[in-house]
Amino acid sequence: MDALLASAGPLNPGKKRRMKPSARSTAPAHKNTQYGDEKIDPSLYSILDNTRTPSAFGTNNLASGSAEPALQANKIVARIGDKKLRARVARTDVSNKRAQKERAEVNEWLNAPMAGGLGGIEVDEDQGERTWRVGQEEIVKEVGVASGSKRFDLKFEDMGSYKVDYTRNGRHIAIASSKGHVATFDWQAGRLHSEIQLRESVRAIKFLQSESFYAVAQKKYVFVYDQNGVELHKLKQHMDPTHLEYLPYHYLLTSVGHAGWLKYHDVSTGVMLTQIPTHLGSPSTMAQNSHSGIIHLGHSNGTMTLWSPNQTSAHVKLLAHRGPVVAIASDPSESSAGRYTATAGLDGQIKIWDGRMWGKELRSFSMRNNPISLSYSGRGMLAVGGKSGVSVFRDETTTPYLTLPLPSLSADSIKFCPFDDILAVGHARGISSLLVPGSGEANFDSAEADVFESHTRRREREVRGVLEKIRPELITMDTEYLGKVREEQPQSYAEKEARSYRQKGRMERLREGGVDPEGDLAGRESSEDDDEGGKGGDEPEKKKKKKMRGKGKSMARYLEKKKKNVVDNTTIALRQKVASQARAEEEKRKIANGEIVKESGALARFG
Amino acid sequence: MISRSLDDHLPSSSSAPHPIQRNLAPHLHPFSKPREYTRALTAAKMDRMFAKPFVDALGGHQDGVYCLAKDPRRVAVVAGGGGDGEVIVHSISLRRPLLKIPDAHRGMVGGLTWTAEARDGRRGLLSAGKLDGTIKLWRSEAFTPGMRDKAAFEGNEFGVGASESGQEILDTAGALGEGEDYDEEEGGGLAIDSGKRDRLGRDLEPTMTYNSKTGFNAIDHHRTDATFATASNSVQIWDEQRTAPVSTLVFGGSSETVTSVRFNQSETSVLASVGGDRTMCLYDVRTGKAERRVMMQFRANCLSWCPTLPTVLLLGSEDHNLYTFDIRNLETPSQIYKGHVGGVMGCDWSPTGEEFVSGSYDRTVRLWKRDAGKSRDVYHTKRMQRVFDVTYTPTADFVLTASDDGNVRIWKSNASAKLGPVSGKERSAIEYRQALIEKWGAAGDVRSVHDRRHVPGSIHNAVKLKRDMVEAAKVKEERRRKHSRAGREKPKAERKKVMIAEQK
Repeated sequence: MDALLASAGPLNPGKKRRMKPSARSTAPAHKNTQYGDEKIDPSLYSILDNTRTPSAFGTNNLASGSAEPALQANKIVARIGDKKLRARVARTDVSNKRAQKERAEVNEWLNAPMAGGLGGIEVDEDQGERTWRVGQEEIVKEVGVASGSKRFDLKFEDMGSYKVDYTRNGRHIAIASSKGHVATFDWQAGRLHSEIQLRESVRAIKFLQSESFYAVAQKKYVFVYDQNGVELHKLKQHMDPTHLEYLPYHYLLTSVGHAGWLKYHDVSTGVMLTQIPTHLGSPSTMAQNSHSGIIHLGHSNGTMTLWSPNQTSAHVKLLAHRGPVVAIASDPSESSAGRYTATAGLDGQIKIWDGRMWGKELRSFSMRNNPISLSYSGRGMLAVGGKSGVSVFRDETTTPYLTLPLPSLSADSIKFCPFDDILAVGHARGISSLLVPGSGEANFDSAEADVFESHTRRREREVRGVLEKIRPELITMDTEYLGKVREEQPQSYAEKEARSYRQKGRMERLREGGVDPEGDLAGRESSEDDDEGGKGGDEPEKKKKKKMRGKGKSMARYLEKKKKNVVDNTTIALRQKVASQARAEEEKRKIANGEIVKESGALARFG
Repeated sequence: MISRSLDDHLPSSSSAPHPIQRNLAPHLHPFSKPREYTRALTAAKMDRMFAKPFVDALGGHQDGVYCLAKDPRRVAVVAGGGGDGEVIVHSISLRRPLLKIPDAHRGMVGGLTWTAEARDGRRGLLSAGKLDGTIKLWRSEAFTPGMRDKAAFEGNEFGVGASESGQEILDTAGALGEGEDYDEEEGGGLAIDSGKRDRLGRDLEPTMTYNSKTGFNAIDHHRTDATFATASNSVQIWDEQRTAPVSTLVFGGSSETVTSVRFNQSETSVLASVGGDRTMCLYDVRTGKAERRVMMQFRANCLSWCPTLPTVLLLGSEDHNLYTFDIRNLETPSQIYKGHVGGVMGCDWSPTGEEFVSGSYDRTVRLWKRDAGKSRDVYHTKRMQRVFDVTYTPTADFVLTASDDGNVRIWKSNASAKLGPVSGKERSAIEYRQALIEKWGAAGDVRSVHDRRHVPGSIHNAVKLKRDMVEAAKVKEERRRKHSRAGREKPKAERKKVMIAEQK
């Protein structure tokens, strides 16, 4: 028996052992086990899995010699009461952090920075050269033949103004003129997929999950066509559509029409998900945040509203401009990841908003050429299309990085090509593909959007995409919402009272016991002394809450106040009595200490 | 300007794989959390879809099966003891009885265990009668099918002599394929002639018979030595060669019924027993003494030592719960396992010591992880009656149950595991799915899909009823405490509630 106990190793030292040492326990506790030549103490191995090497021995601190501290779990984990759960959460947290770090390290090597920084145009500012003076002809001359050939114009006279849209990998482009000319083609290979004349007004065009389907907002309804231009569906529920958006991970086609109804249509099942009335009339523009799936609508009264299919009212409604909002774009680049949104108003203002705080714009500047369209590139360049040209802004400066003049034309629809340095502009005379060096994300991920996608890989991606279709309920303003620990639900008084003490959560119990669990567990000092005397000097005194509970509270308080100031004879007598008592006590103490020598002789009576 | 060379991005030949470019930057992977969550949900659904734990039922018993004994060193041999005194040795891989001993005992079989000889062919089966007070040691070559020595077999020499020529004994009964070579073999081959087998079983005489005045409730063999322990109104240690017990182990002067007894697997001379007087007692064979004893609120029906952690002991109790004890600290159990709604009749650790299985009087089998108080899975079928014994197979792939309805059932220990060969690609997909479930198992729908188990209506109702009763009792206790003088009635920890006293 003792051998068994000994071979199992010591128990957790925190626990009290009540076992009395018996006579037998002085004998050798256990044999060493012979493994080959060496002797192994079994008790050593029995504790190994319960011990931990110091963090100083961690891999981070050994080979590299760096003083980088070992990864540690978030402090907030300490709040979890359950020991096992806490350990599990801490482990997960550390492994997440490690994965993130390793990913960043790997990515550094996978996608080595391009030579020449960001790959944009470089000029000598001191010599008076400016990047925005550089014209397209100069760029075409300087870049290689392959890149130069990406600059082209498609001229269509009298077809109305054109709208453009790229697929997610940037390989295919769809164009639609307001008079009904619709075409899709692989612009890199120069291969036309479909070209149709619809003979009615077309207001928007959007690719669905790949180049094989696209949706067109026509005069009365939304229609879906396939790669060959064959009409597949007439979506009758989308009446009089003006704008289209497609959420690729949710398989949701979103439209909004003159009546101001925002409609979400699930294209994988063909079911209309929701129809939400915006109550703000015909929206002037529509955009999606590609990182959160939130739809942004711009309205003619100057408000921008943010929508998801889960709520019949707008998540955010803000007055962005004086006058109609004409264009919205959200920034997908690395530094923003959907956080920043740009809006353009008919008042000529461009405003940049931070999605974490909608109170005020980050910055704003005005354009003289009546901005009507906006687009963000993969590296965060903002193109503003207006009358007679497009300006591209880099960084936070208000001087443009490039200006792309379109004489006597207005840029009705502009789109940066994903993973390329191209800006497509749709205007009244067709479309122009313009070169904007340094605008595109160079390193694509072929698991997400493959620029050189083959037929089989596309098939694979489409099937996997449907399997991983995200449910529309998961569209949230806060993209980190999923997997977070829920805050305590607010409860009514009756609900709280209905539960007994043991049915309450740990936090509630602690709170009831007068302990501030948040403060205690976060390692801060607890405010234990609630009484008047124990107030610390530094801490500001907590303001007493004026709770208006019950009847006539204010009257009671008034009386209470009044009572304090009343000075009558009994109060005076009482005060005097207390004072004399204190004096007597003090004297007694002093005599005891020897500070005063009480005279005890006959003269004492003279005091 | 971005300019990409086609050479880098297109396959070099028609058969070459498409080149892959990766960019792990988070902004190129939007919705990574919702997408992973969706994958986890799909994984959880697939896991439940593939969950078909029941493999087969081994019939043959005329009465209920009340005890099981796996051969700890062979993968696929298990013996079951019936209520009518019949002992059947089953082959799990062949899924049929290897040997039937119809009248091994008069009345119920109390316990079964295999002896500890290192050679398969020499190993014998010990059976103890619950009513007739005898222990019988059986040896037969039918226990090792596929044995080639025909002469020894046909001569019906099933004793020690037969094994002497057993040079060609095959080590595993189950691992052997059903080959043509063995078809002509009589009785002991893989293609068993059931008539001959039955005749063999009828004619089989025990190698040894040990007699006692009292019946036996349980029997367990020492891991290596030729000694075994029995549970009657005391714990007795026997030598295989002697007909009288070597020693009798009693705590104090107690003569209460001992329900079950088990040897420790690591410190092999230590054994533990549970008894009808609600106690669990530890003994050491070397000192020949009962070392210490704990008394609990309810009696335990079964016990099992953890095979990897020598100090961990599992008890299945009549109060529907299981308890693990660290025998270094017997003041409280180290974990309570709640879930059954009937007394726990049998429990057994998996060979890794990370999980265990329990069978209950409520007609269900539950699988548990050692460090979680809730069961990982619950198995039941319409036809399975009260479960009286359960055991893990030595490979940890399967779980065997013995129940009232006279069947030994084979269940997969992982309900959705695939039987049969698994390719590397498939395995990595399975492992990825498991990791996803583990990561998202606490969130939303993944949790409800992963944790939900459908149980028979009677059990469902019993669970509800029990929950209500426990809750009501606790609320009542709470109210009583609220209305009594402060500090008079202190709440007691759940783990301390079940204990009454520890005696040394």
